[in-house]
Amino acid sequence: MKKNKVQYIGKKVLIFVISVFLLSLITFYISRLAPGDPLVSYYGDRVEKMSPQERERAEERLGLHEPVSVQYVKWLKQAVRGDFGISYKYKKDVLEVIGGRVGNTLVLGGIGFVLIFVLALLLGVLCAWYEDSRLDRVICKVGTVLSCIPEFWLSLLLLLIFAVELRWLPGSGAYTVGKSDDILDRIWHLILPVSIVVLNHLWYYAYMIRNKLLEEVRADYVLLARSKGADKKRILFRYCLRNIIPSYLSIMAISVPHVLGGTYIIETVFSYPGIGTLSYESARYKDYNLLMVLCILSGIVVILCNMVAQAVNEQIDPRIRATEIMQETEETKR
Amino acid sequence: MSELLEVKHLSVSFDTLQGEVEAVRDVSFSLRAGEILAVVGESGCGKSVMCKSLMKLLPGNAKIKAGSICVNGVDITSYKEKEMQKLRGKLFSMVFQDPMTSLNPTMTIGAQIAEAVLIHQPKMPPVEVKRRVLELMELVGIEQAEERANLYPWNFSGGMRQRSVLAIALASDPDILIADEPTTSLDVTIQAQILDLLREIQKKLGTATILVSHDLGVVARCADRVAVMYAGKIIETGKTEEVYYDPKHPYTWGLLRSLPALSRGKNRLYTLPGMPPSLIHPPKGDAFACRNAYALAIDYEEEPPMFRVTDSHYAATWLLDERAADVREQISEAMRSSDTEAALPCLLQKAQTGSVETGQFAGDMTGKKTESNGNSETGPKAEILLDVQHLSHVFPLTKKHVIRAVDDVSFQIRRGEILGLVGESGSGKSTVARCIMNICQPYSGKILYRGINVCDRGQFRQNRKMLQTDRQLIFQDSGSSLNQRMKVEEIILEPLKVGHIKPMHGSYRDEALFQMKAVGLEEQCLNRYPSELSGGQRQRVAIARALITEPGLLVADEPIASLDVSIQAQIVNLFRHLQEEHGFSFLFIAHDLAMVEFLCDRVGVMYHGRLVELAPCRELYENPLHPYTKELLAAIPVPDPLRERARKATQFGKDAYMGGGKMEEVLPGHYVEISQ
Repeated sequence: MKKNKVQYIGKKVLIFVISVFLLSLITFYISRLAPGDPLVSYYGDRVEKMSPQERERAEERLGLHEPVSVQYVKWLKQAVRGDFGISYKYKKDVLEVIGGRVGNTLVLGGIGFVLIFVLALLLGVLCAWYEDSRLDRVICKVGTVLSCIPEFWLSLLLLLIFAVELRWLPGSGAYTVGKSDDILDRIWHLILPVSIVVLNHLWYYAYMIRNKLLEEVRADYVLLARSKGADKKRILFRYCLRNIIPSYLSIMAISVPHVLGGTYIIETVFSYPGIGTLSYESARYKDYNLLMVLCILSGIVVILCNMVAQAVNEQIDPRIRATEIMQETEETKR
Repeated sequence: MSELLEVKHLSVSFDTLQGEVEAVRDVSFSLRAGEILAVVGESGCGKSVMCKSLMKLLPGNAKIKAGSICVNGVDITSYKEKEMQKLRGKLFSMVFQDPMTSLNPTMTIGAQIAEAVLIHQPKMPPVEVKRRVLELMELVGIEQAEERANLYPWNFSGGMRQRSVLAIALASDPDILIADEPTTSLDVTIQAQILDLLREIQKKLGTATILVSHDLGVVARCADRVAVMYAGKIIETGKTEEVYYDPKHPYTWGLLRSLPALSRGKNRLYTLPGMPPSLIHPPKGDAFACRNAYALAIDYEEEPPMFRVTDSHYAATWLLDERAADVREQISEAMRSSDTEAALPCLLQKAQTGSVETGQFAGDMTGKKTESNGNSETGPKAEILLDVQHLSHVFPLTKKHVIRAVDDVSFQIRRGEILGLVGESGSGKSTVARCIMNICQPYSGKILYRGINVCDRGQFRQNRKMLQTDRQLIFQDSGSSLNQRMKVEEIILEPLKVGHIKPMHGSYRDEALFQMKAVGLEEQCLNRYPSELSGGQRQRVAIARALITEPGLLVADEPIASLDVSIQAQIVNLFRHLQEEHGFSFLFIAHDLAMVEFLCDRVGVMYHGRLVELAPCRELYENPLHPYTKELLAAIPVPDPLRERARKATQFGKDAYMGGGKMEEVLPGHYVEISQ
């Protein structure tokens, strides 16, 4: 039993390491295939005035003169030791640059995610409870429309309305300059981006909850519960909701990267100082070292979430548990 | 006895896109306290809908159009959901057909029973509840209740789950128990146990029971009264003895006659032609008229009223009208003189039943088997087509534990022979079929088809095309084994196209038409989708699909298990007819012995992955040697209430079965496993 678990975890870790390695390899090559000049981000406008010799020396200093494969091996050797190089643009250690920003993204994504999770559940249950009523239909239709609108367009629209025209909410940044410690001010700045993250992703999950619930309501065991005399509340909450929660959890785990991708775009639109804006900049200015770390970081999140989802799914599958229980009974018999 | 439940002129209809479905039409009946009423009819006759409408468990698009439901003299027809909730469980509760899906998979059995107890007595202290749960579990015959209460439904077998459902239904001591086909999806041996349990509970608790079934044989065992439903109406009702020994409606005759137990010793099963009508626009007059060989002119025009036979026995057929007296005379005359005499239920007199034993019918077996034996091509001297040698298959549960699904099974099928393979679910029959069809790779053993070892990859690859076109498989549930998005024509022709075979009868379409006709389907069906066909029709499509390549071996994995008894008889007769025409060898898998007799030349009985008995069909039925075979034979329900009630369900001691015995030829051709 214990040995099995060790094996299981070992297998997962191995898969994880291989995935991250492949991810880093692919990003490394692809980022260098794209057109653009990395020197620009380091030296700025000075690059245009450089002579070819100066350029060569600059490239040598940044380690860009070697073939890509050699560069990769060097990078990997350093990365394993925890040294990810410096950011060309900020001329600081990459981790330091990211460290200053990652909190902002976590706050934005985290709040958005929790809100999506809770609101979707509420909306889904509401729709299932009032199945086929006017409320249900309106929610479903509004949701379909909203989830089809691309997030950048929606953010621009809301920016125009609430920040530019009405001037109710701030349109950019994470805090008003000079007030970086004021929590209320930060929340104030979060309202628009968070609501766009939520508006965009909420419906899909709410709709999923609704349909899963209705599917469960039509299951045979609900008929038996009804013939016992159970009322609607008990059936919907104690039976159906309880039975779909595991699959909901696993789907939400898969959706983390999805929501994450959404926040990246929204951050860019709102010039919110988070990982998203940073990634955009690093890709644009060929800030290779920064780009690598950001990509790997996002990749790790995605892979981890998928693994969690898979583990949850495996736990739900009764056949796996069935074999465990059989084993246990066999053991106790002995 | 007082009337506990009284239903008067109940009509229920569904709104569908195709139009209004009149599922229940003008049904009246009553149920007295402590009696068992059986409602019988083919699927699609409105039995289930009627039961659900009593408890108002119908889906939203159904409505009660007319009539009233009175319980204890109180009219509950207009009760709303809230009021019904209070009655459900307490006044009446229900047991459903499929115990596999009717329990909540994420709650323990004990918790589900406890919930049913608590719903109507929310203030019961936990200790009390626990005691009650254990009491209920013991009542329905679940042993070691204390441990089992903590198990989940998937730890239970089908029979145990149905017992748990029954415990839930009985939790609040309901006055009325509605059992909707409670045994249809169970093995025959388990079916007998559950029926006995129902009877026992009814005796112990005095619960009035409505038992719904499509099989008249099943209900004979425990019903007090029987109501026969057809096309949404009750067409005959009476005491069990009256309906079984003196049926008046031609539909009841048909249902009784199509039961295999009554056709024992006949060449062919009697079949009820056709299917129940669609209830979207129910036919004018007697709905059964178009399937009725004795239909009168008036049957097509006017609906027959309920005629009184005795005070408790009523039937709706014009044959009982005074003016039809001479027709009645003719019919009974014709029945008496025809050779179907013995099969007629009306002549199955009480006197005859006292001493009948299982072997009695075998005496008048006609020469079906001698016929085929005399034919040298298909007889015992014919070449061996399929040779299964010491086949074993294991399914690994974990690295250490395995299930021996098939354990050292050997048999042969000769050219043109029909071999039946019988056993309860989980006995490994399907795995044998899968191994033969190369769907599973056997763990050990050999399967030789026309001398080719099909398990050997090299040999299989060399003969792939022949092996794939020459062996065909038919599945149990043609609803899910036929592609829902393909038209019937495409489905039938697919094997030809996949195998690049030229059609034999002109164009592809001609070939499809020919095959459709051969299996008794109409031309229009070609352009339909499987979901638009009935279960029997779908199975016919599956047969046509399998036969289009002119296979040498047909393997049918429980092809009739999911069908109504009357349709089962039709399909079995079709198989027999087609086999005579095409001469293919046939491996027919079934879970009970009732139908196998009419089809097979030899029968093998499987138990826990082992072949325990293999004998020529007649020999097996006359002289079963293995205790499990005896149990299976005894479990075949006979539509004879007196005999059924007298009989006790024999239980083959599963613990007594050691396994690991050796097959020995006891009589010529009759092999039995003898444990050492």
